[in-house]
Amino acid sequence: MKRLVESSGVEVAFREVDVVTTGTFGAMCSSGAIINVGHSDPPIKIENAWINDVPISHPGAAVDLYIGATAMSERQPFEYGGGHVIEDLVSGKEVELKATSYGTDCYPRAHVKTRLTKDDLNQFYLLNFRNCYQRYNCAVNGRDETIYTYMGKLLPRLRNATFSGAGELNPLMNDPDYETIGIGTRIFLGGAQGYVIGEGTQHDPQNRFGTIMVRGDATKMSPEFLRGASFTRYGTTLYVGLGIPIPILNEGLAKKTAIRDEEIFTSVVDYGVPRKDRPKLAQVSYKELKSGKITVGDKRIRVSSLSSLKTARKIAGTLKSWIAQGEFFLTAPVERLPVDSVFKPMRQTEETPFVANVMQEAVTCSESEAVQAIAERIVTRSVNHIVVVDGNGKLTGIVTSWDITRALAQGKTALADIVTRRVITAKLNEPLETASKRMAQHNISALPVIDNEKKVLGIVTAEDVSKLLGR
Amino acid sequence: MVRILLRFSENIVEKPITSQIILELRVPINIITAHVDSKGGEVLAEVPDESLVKVVKAFRERGATVSIPKLIEIDSEKCISCGACLTLCPVEAITMDEDASVVFNQEKCLGSTCSACVDACPSRAIKSVKQNNSELTANKAH
Ligand code: SF4
Ligand code: SF4
Repeated sequence: MKRLVESSGVEVAFREVDVVTTGTFGAMCSSGAIINVGHSDPPIKIENAWINDVPISHPGAAVDLYIGATAMSERQPFEYGGGHVIEDLVSGKEVELKATSYGTDCYPRAHVKTRLTKDDLNQFYLLNFRNCYQRYNCAVNGRDETIYTYMGKLLPRLRNATFSGAGELNPLMNDPDYETIGIGTRIFLGGAQGYVIGEGTQHDPQNRFGTIMVRGDATKMSPEFLRGASFTRYGTTLYVGLGIPIPILNEGLAKKTAIRDEEIFTSVVDYGVPRKDRPKLAQVSYKELKSGKITVGDKRIRVSSLSSLKTARKIAGTLKSWIAQGEFFLTAPVERLPVDSVFKPMRQTEETPFVANVMQEAVTCSESEAVQAIAERIVTRSVNHIVVVDGNGKLTGIVTSWDITRALAQGKTALADIVTRRVITAKLNEPLETASKRMAQHNISALPVIDNEKKVLGIVTAEDVSKLLGR
Repeated sequence: MVRILLRFSENIVEKPITSQIILELRVPINIITAHVDSKGGEVLAEVPDESLVKVVKAFRERGATVSIPKLIEIDSEKCISCGACLTLCPVEAITMDEDASVVFNQEKCLGSTCSACVDACPSRAIKSVKQNNSELTANKAH
């Protein structure tokens, strides 16, 4: 379609193309499967359940369970989780169910342990409450250390970038006004046929971050399109393969489905900043993302995807051949996806403390001062940390009362000899919790607060933090 | 060819040990990466299988520590060609070809001494494996 519109125009494309198939294969954390395991004899009203050591939720009556993709194995956390349990069941493997209960008059049993395959289940439906993000952020890390996120392993100081999503192949991107997508739309899901059952959670159509909720019979699915996955130090998830056929009902849709990667933009976001609204450093197109290099400021950064373009293409191709062979029939949605929902942040009734809330004025000195003078300042100002600054108030080091005591004992007089120059710092708008964690991590009791130009704004101490956080 | 990892301590790092051994044994030693400064050095090199024992022996006699790093392998059954490993590789041993398949070039890979890609793989498809019997052979050099 994309090439046809380019070469022959929208009108011809509209006449010649009936359906455009799309596909995506990526990590979709808000996925899971609902299963019914049948009744044991005597019966049990399951209160807690585990499959292969992964805690399984029990949202309903006695033996209905929901395997959440991100639930992690108690024995191998971060390596095996709900996504892997779903993949194992789909592959026909046997899994171990353990369940406990308090026992009732009608459900007397307190423990059960058994092995199951998908053939032993009454229902096994993939039931994903948020899939198929229309597009997603491109992630980088501005911090000085490597971080592990749901966007993968991010090297320090913007040394790599990751992105997710299939760009021009993405289902929702090809029908951005959801003319053909809604409740009842039949789709490709995990290698079988499934359905859209409504808008996904956090559906945010106005910002082109639409999502869908989907359901499909998992017993018919294939592990090629449904894979358990592990993100180091983040957790487990499920890679879901999903494709939507878009019927070309009007010229408008012919034009929309001709969308190219160069027309789809997303933001490069600094995941090193521990806030909900992370700084956006640049705008890039999916074309640049797929090229392997992006530009942020004056930096060229290597970028790679987390979702599989190869499998996305295979999904779109499979869907196409199913339709051509009459194995798949398109459906009109009973109700279209909403185009006006708003994605609200959490209403917080308790205030979250930030560094700015507890920061105090920093007692400073310059490097040319004598140890004796600093010792006096520590006593008169009754502080434990003196921040060393240059003539412009910029951070150059830190000395503690302990450093001074030791220097005096050893007869050292020059401050320059005892200053710690690799200073761990905090930012004004940083949550107190992360600052406090950093202090614990480095086993220190204060952090100078600096701005982006390294100018010292104040100091936050462990003492002040524990007063406020009560720990 | 077998890959060996050589470590030189501060005391011997200034000596031209590698060139001495190449000249003396008349064995080609291919240096893949080298990080050397006044505090010591770490060199990843490749030597022909048949000369492994004498090369290892020669380095050990001159005070260097020799170990056989494991090779990195990508399990193609498990790999989903997502690409998450690509940008972590310092030597571009992992690339994506035209049809979006991820391709691994073991020749270029630095082996288990690097391992930067291993914990980035969501499918856990990247593993380190022993080089064929080379560990056993190398230990004969004691
Ligand atoms: S181990 Fe290192 S060199 Fe080898 S492929 Fe992985 S990142 Fe590249
Ligand atoms: S990260 Fe793992 S699954 Fe993804 S391309 Fe690399 S080896 Fe394959």
